[in-house]
Amino acid sequence: MSEMKKIKNLKEFSTSADRFEGANLLCPGCAHSIIVREVLNATNDDLILSASTGCLEVCTAVYPYTSWDASWIHIGFENGSTAVAGAEAMYKALKRKGRLKQPDREPKFVSFAGDGASYDIGFQWISGCFERGHNIMHVVLDNEVYANTGGQRSSSTPIGGSTTTSPAGRVSYGEKQHKKDMLAIMAAHGAPYVAQVAPNKWKDMVKKIQHGFSVEGPVFINAMSACTTEWKFLPEDTIAVSDLATDSLVFPLYEIIDGRKLNITYRPKNVIPVKDYLGAQGRFKHLFKPENKHVLDEWQARVDRDWEYLQRREEAGV
Amino acid sequence: MQNNGWDNFEIGAMLRSFDGAVSDIATTLQEDRPYSKSNSFTASVADWRIEKPIFNKDYCIDCQFCWIYCPDISIISRDKKMVGVDYDHCKGCGICVEVCPTNPKSLLMFAEQEDEDKALAGWPEKEKKEN
Amino acid sequence: MADKQELREVEVWDGNMAASQAMRQVQIDVVAAYPITPSTPIVENYGNFLANGYVDGEFIMVESEHAAMSGCIGASAAGGRVATATSSQGFALMVETLYQASGMRLPIILNVVNRALAAPLNVNGDHSDMYLGRDSGWIQFDAYNPQNAYDLNFIAFRVAEDHEIRLPAMVHQDGFLTSHTAQGVKTLDDDTAYSFVGDFKPMNDMLDLDHPVTHGVQTEEDWHFEHKARQHHDLMTKVFPRIEAAFDAFEKLTGRRYNIVETYNTEGADAVVVCMGTSVETAVEVSNELRGEGKKVGVIGIRVLRPWPHAQIAEALKGIKAIGALDRSSPNGTFGMLYNELAGTVVNGGENKVLTNYVYGLGGRDLTKVHLREIYAELLANAEAGKPTTPLQQLIGVRGPQISFH
Repeated sequence: MSEMKKIKNLKEFSTSADRFEGANLLCPGCAHSIIVREVLNATNDDLILSASTGCLEVCTAVYPYTSWDASWIHIGFENGSTAVAGAEAMYKALKRKGRLKQPDREPKFVSFAGDGASYDIGFQWISGCFERGHNIMHVVLDNEVYANTGGQRSSSTPIGGSTTTSPAGRVSYGEKQHKKDMLAIMAAHGAPYVAQVAPNKWKDMVKKIQHGFSVEGPVFINAMSACTTEWKFLPEDTIAVSDLATDSLVFPLYEIIDGRKLNITYRPKNVIPVKDYLGAQGRFKHLFKPENKHVLDEWQARVDRDWEYLQRREEAGV
Repeated sequence: MQNNGWDNFEIGAMLRSFDGAVSDIATTLQEDRPYSKSNSFTASVADWRIEKPIFNKDYCIDCQFCWIYCPDISIISRDKKMVGVDYDHCKGCGICVEVCPTNPKSLLMFAEQEDEDKALAGWPEKEKKEN
Repeated sequence: MADKQELREVEVWDGNMAASQAMRQVQIDVVAAYPITPSTPIVENYGNFLANGYVDGEFIMVESEHAAMSGCIGASAAGGRVATATSSQGFALMVETLYQASGMRLPIILNVVNRALAAPLNVNGDHSDMYLGRDSGWIQFDAYNPQNAYDLNFIAFRVAEDHEIRLPAMVHQDGFLTSHTAQGVKTLDDDTAYSFVGDFKPMNDMLDLDHPVTHGVQTEEDWHFEHKARQHHDLMTKVFPRIEAAFDAFEKLTGRRYNIVETYNTEGADAVVVCMGTSVETAVEVSNELRGEGKKVGVIGIRVLRPWPHAQIAEALKGIKAIGALDRSSPNGTFGMLYNELAGTVVNGGENKVLTNYVYGLGGRDLTKVHLREIYAELLANAEAGKPTTPLQQLIGVRGPQISFH
């Protein structure tokens, strides 16, 4: 295993040579980009990457251009994780047979996929990879919606989110189902490491990514990706909205080691009300109508309850 | 490239990132990389912008927030110092301005056609905190 | 280093074991597979070889057939020898990935043990899965018996991995009828078998860390047609010469001659049946008997289904007056695939031929010699009359009143 890249502070981090290029087709202000950069810059090791069909894939590999400076594969919507698992298996086979072209270099295998690709259509594939224990990292770019195709709901869409297939209207307040708790599910696979990250907390993210790269076995990273287009806020506010998400504890930052030991990794100095987070986004605007007050109340109660649960888990150390 | 016929490209629509071998990409700066013409680095999205950020090094403290939060790798930083904006790749999102912590900010958005010297000359004063 | 096996000159193998042994001998780097009747034994045999040290590649037991082909694609793009096996529902589940594999020009080998597609559910042999994958852009070989299943795997690896070709290939064999029927199979020793295929030579491999590549891009209306045209062009022009060369080399090595279109008793024939799978051998036996009775009948077996051997079939059909296209798949509202593709080949040929369609053997229903004698009698009547003397399409061997159309 090569030495982990030392990143003491942001100035040091800024000497990284990005392996992800601009002039791609992602929206101005897209958080996917910020996440990808933080992940790729967390290591100097070689990378073999995949992406499932979605915003990232569709905007960074449209013939005749690629924005990737590492080997990268896209097959389809469900199977980005399996693609990289297949590559990892080939790496193991060629290593054993002595046919690697650069035998002293050990690449890291990372698959990127949206919440749609990970929580829904690609769930089985990820579960299979994790059950088999491939040495891969799966990073979910969680914008809580099928953004690439215009904003349809996914099982990651939280209650009250207005999406094109669960729109808010005269008789509906939008999405009715709770957001799927993917981290708990992936932890239940016994994965050595699962964690939730957010691009505004770069140090927390980079630390977790580096830890993920250092363990043997499958790693699951859920990265909050504030989507200016689908969450409906100005492109310049991506980091500001991400701050609201982490500081209201709607997106708590934590990790689970070996499927059991939970550590909270960010405790906001000042916890802000959930409605400040919701109010910053057009997709929740309708929740501020008087008839939807109960949804706002439920939101705060649920976030409080979930935060309480995380703290209890952490204390219990199981 | 745009007018290439069916017989004139690599099979499988495969694209190469570089021309020739690059043995340590992670430690090779952009300016030293042999980008292939298929690499989006060689393209420009300047025409996406209606506003652009202008950098004022007089106020910059090289905190690198703009570098890390730029989605488009358009903040050029070398040796831990902010160098400037890559106007070929900047989409004008404005995140760099929002995250800049200095007072006055070291990056501000201006109309796309704004003259850089003029903008720098007319940079706003330090904002006084209201009591 | 994998251990070698000492094979007898002739082994008694069923089609599944024959395919598994070929897979063992070519030393695959990654097999990602999922079990499904009747191809399960291929996966099991391979697992057995691994457990006993006869293969040293990676064997990923994935959670579905779609994942099997997805894993194969990832492994192939990484850069090594890749193969798997499936049937029917599993084949149908991985159809999406078949198109992705061929579009990305990755040389994966797929053993398809042909089985009927549900509904209703059926585990027995027919060609409905084979027909489903027609347009997927794969090279497709058809085995009539375990010997073919063994031999064609070597041909498939050699052709698919060729840098001028770089297209995935299927080797089909009839479910149960070939896969579970043991016959004498003449073998190659491990070294000879491996050197016929040779070392895997990577191309555009992701694991060449100094040359990063992007696989699986998007192309819209400004580029898609060019890429598909290129794939089609390569299938239409480059594949047959390579297959011929491989068949020649194989004949030199073993004495066994394969042809893109197999012809039996077609010299001066008035009528022929065109078919695939085990039906070919049954038809050959019947045509031998009928030839003995003075009837000029023959058999054309499709050895390579894709690319469609238009020129070779046209050549084989010269002078033939009546053709019976035997399709072992439910056409569900139209003529059988072989009927349609043969019609496409003969329609502009200038010769007047009578073409009729027989749908048979669905879900593992036997095609018997009695059936074939009846078919040949009808075809000879067509040849005599210069036009169809029966309905254009008949379903034969099915209980109930006669079922025929057009």
